[in-house]
Amino acid sequence: MADPGRKSSLAAWVWVLVACVAVFELVADTVIRARVPTDASWEDATAFVRERFEPTDRVVAAPRWIDPLVRSYLGDLFSLSSASVGDLAGVRRVWEVGIRGATSRREPPALEESFGGVRVRMWPVTTDEVLFDFVEGIGRAKVDLLTERGAQPCPWIHAKVEGGGLGHGPLPPPDRFVCDPGRPWLWVGPTVVADLDLQPRRCVWQHPAGREPVRATFRDVPLGDKLVVQGGLDYNNERTAGNIAVRLRVFIDGRLAGEMRHQDRDGWSRLEIDTARLNGSVRQVRIETIAAKSHGRTFCWSASTRRAQGEP
Amino acid sequence: MTVRRLTSSEQLIGAALCVGYVMMLVWTAPDLAMSRDESFYAHAAKEYGGWVVELLKNPSSALTREQIDRAWDYNWEHPAWMKLTFAWAWLVHQKLGLFSSESLAFRFPGMLTAGLLLWLIYAWGAVIIGRTGALFGALAFATLPRVFYHSHLAAFDVPIAFLITLTAYAYWRTLSDSKWALLTGLAFGLALATKHNSWILPGIFLIHYLWVRRQYALADRLDRPTLAWLPSMLVIGPIVLIATWPWVWHHTASRLLAYAQFHLSHVHYTYEYLGVSYFEPPLPISVPFIMTLFTVPLTILVLALIGLVHRRAALAPPWRTRRGDPTDTRADVLWLGCLAAPLLAIALPSSPIFGGTKHWITAYPFLALFAGWGFVAVTDLARGPLSTERRWPAWTFAALFLAPGLVQTTHSHPFGLSHYTPIAGGVAGAADLGMNRQFWGFTTGSLADWIVETLPDGGTVWTCDTTWGAWRMMQADRRLPSNIRPVRSMAEADLVLVHHEPHFNEVDFQAWMAFDDVQPVHVLTYDGVPIISVYQNRRKR
Repeated sequence: MADPGRKSSLAAWVWVLVACVAVFELVADTVIRARVPTDASWEDATAFVRERFEPTDRVVAAPRWIDPLVRSYLGDLFSLSSASVGDLAGVRRVWEVGIRGATSRREPPALEESFGGVRVRMWPVTTDEVLFDFVEGIGRAKVDLLTERGAQPCPWIHAKVEGGGLGHGPLPPPDRFVCDPGRPWLWVGPTVVADLDLQPRRCVWQHPAGREPVRATFRDVPLGDKLVVQGGLDYNNERTAGNIAVRLRVFIDGRLAGEMRHQDRDGWSRLEIDTARLNGSVRQVRIETIAAKSHGRTFCWSASTRRAQGEP
Repeated sequence: MTVRRLTSSEQLIGAALCVGYVMMLVWTAPDLAMSRDESFYAHAAKEYGGWVVELLKNPSSALTREQIDRAWDYNWEHPAWMKLTFAWAWLVHQKLGLFSSESLAFRFPGMLTAGLLLWLIYAWGAVIIGRTGALFGALAFATLPRVFYHSHLAAFDVPIAFLITLTAYAYWRTLSDSKWALLTGLAFGLALATKHNSWILPGIFLIHYLWVRRQYALADRLDRPTLAWLPSMLVIGPIVLIATWPWVWHHTASRLLAYAQFHLSHVHYTYEYLGVSYFEPPLPISVPFIMTLFTVPLTILVLALIGLVHRRAALAPPWRTRRGDPTDTRADVLWLGCLAAPLLAIALPSSPIFGGTKHWITAYPFLALFAGWGFVAVTDLARGPLSTERRWPAWTFAALFLAPGLVQTTHSHPFGLSHYTPIAGGVAGAADLGMNRQFWGFTTGSLADWIVETLPDGGTVWTCDTTWGAWRMMQADRRLPSNIRPVRSMAEADLVLVHHEPHFNEVDFQAWMAFDDVQPVHVLTYDGVPIISVYQNRRKR
């Protein structure tokens, strides 16, 4: 049985507990603020990366939420593709600029330097060689809309870019294929969409027109071991969990080589087509998108032909 | 049971708290640009103010349905009371130039309710807890970082916290003195006319009343607490709501129904919580509790818990009452009801996604009162081991226990909604955890000087979550020149602002496309955490 006297004497010291909590809060607040990296730390760390950066390198931020800060210092080293998330195909070294001990990779780095609270780490990586990037090459493609009356060409035009805002979807580039000015979403061109996880994806916007295929045809595509296609909807539509699938079909020299069937909430999907038997050849590749209905099918894809060298 | 009257020195302390807090809010308000919602309410206040002027000049014209609808259709989804006070303050400012800026004119009534709320917490606390605990409770409330932010605004959240606390106080007084019934009805009416948080009050009061009534019955008391508060609330409440809201003077039933429907089927805000961007219900039940843990200084939470434990006898269920036991009107039970109900209402899986602490801010006056109890309990218990009856330990403890809140609140300004306490790891820790970073776009105010410096000859800005109304208010307040204009199209802007919050990532990527550039020219940070990225149009650099 508990001793009431002892119990009350313990309760009498509860002020010590509360005082400790208050002191903890005051000390923790000071420590937390003192740990914020200074501008000088950021400048030194990013200057270190800049001096050693090569075109086949990739810079990543850890944790992800410091990405805007990293881009503010090193953004000129980023392309729209390298600022977006995706696999590391074509990359030879990964530079990580991190704070708070966060990291994007588990293995030990080949190089590590600390600059105040900012840590720079570098890993050499062995990845697939990219032979052809369809997103970068879209301007040289031929785009048409296959209707009952036959193939209607979509001309490459330069147009004003307007809009922006929450829920508006991706902005089009000024140079793009326009299939139907009456349907402003029916264009084909490179953009950046927010995927289901709200991450940036550099891709070709190829919104299906319905059952009539929208087709992008690339001539003289060098093939390797595989053709990797990734795609999904803009997050505003990916979230809706509708039941209208988008079908993306890949044709090599007019023959169906692979198909991706994308449902809402699938997230950023991947299709890998084995082209080993065509390795080293140059072929025509056509990418078509269709859907039972066009409404909200804000589909965007990226693709590349690759020669396997290491990690995917 | 009779409730003692406050002494004049107690009233003086309450008044000093009120005036001091309002002065502090007025002094710090220029650092805060108007928030998104404030800009809507300021616009509404101008519309309503115009109608009031017309009513004074030409009542027969103002009272026609066309004139009423023209003025009052805007922002019909919220009742009119606080917007009317904003309108009056603005009208007075137009005539007399009372305030240093136009935004302050709109904000002053809200600030006044914050000051009055401190006074009320102190007054009620003084009656129940005693002066020291009451003062501690009031100061604890004043130094909650999120409360301090919301207390500045021309919005409804702190006003409704005041009016709910006032209604609860008046109701509680009515139980022992039916003369308070009229004020209960009036306060409830003003609460109804301020915000829909007030709808839960009759339920809380009814449970409390039945609790007290059962206690009296089991104790075999001949006198019973009066039910006069109920008809007063049911009659005077709706009358005040309707009387202060001309929009419902026509089509009363259908418009009141539309108003109720708007909030019962409210759109879901996107809200980041523990790494997930919630855009559809259910929001996790833990949200209001974890957000309270992460935004209210831990010392105050611990004291409130100690206060609850300390008052466990007063919170005992009525069926434990025995014949002849002493009875009272159970202020502690009422406080616990008013503390728990807003948190539980938001925690319900069926509730629309709101997320922001402002939606249960009405709980915090009662949290502060329990912290007052906790403070009293701790200081009383400390007298034994410290072997002293002198008063200094209480003041020492008060200084120590209030210091975390004071330090954090000071540091939270002007990023109030981005602030997180050390238990969350601070601002950066909350970013690691994937917590909501901001909403309403008011942080643009912290960029005003930089924008002016960057665009010395004027220019255009795509303002992201900052409304054009809020932007114009910064211009009216002379924080931005009139030649720096907001534009609708990103690609036409000199500068594009991106308020960082995951569901705004889309806007970040649009900015990359608009300028073919992923490099912000400036990132506004708070404790090292990105708040706003600014992109500059290279064609215009």
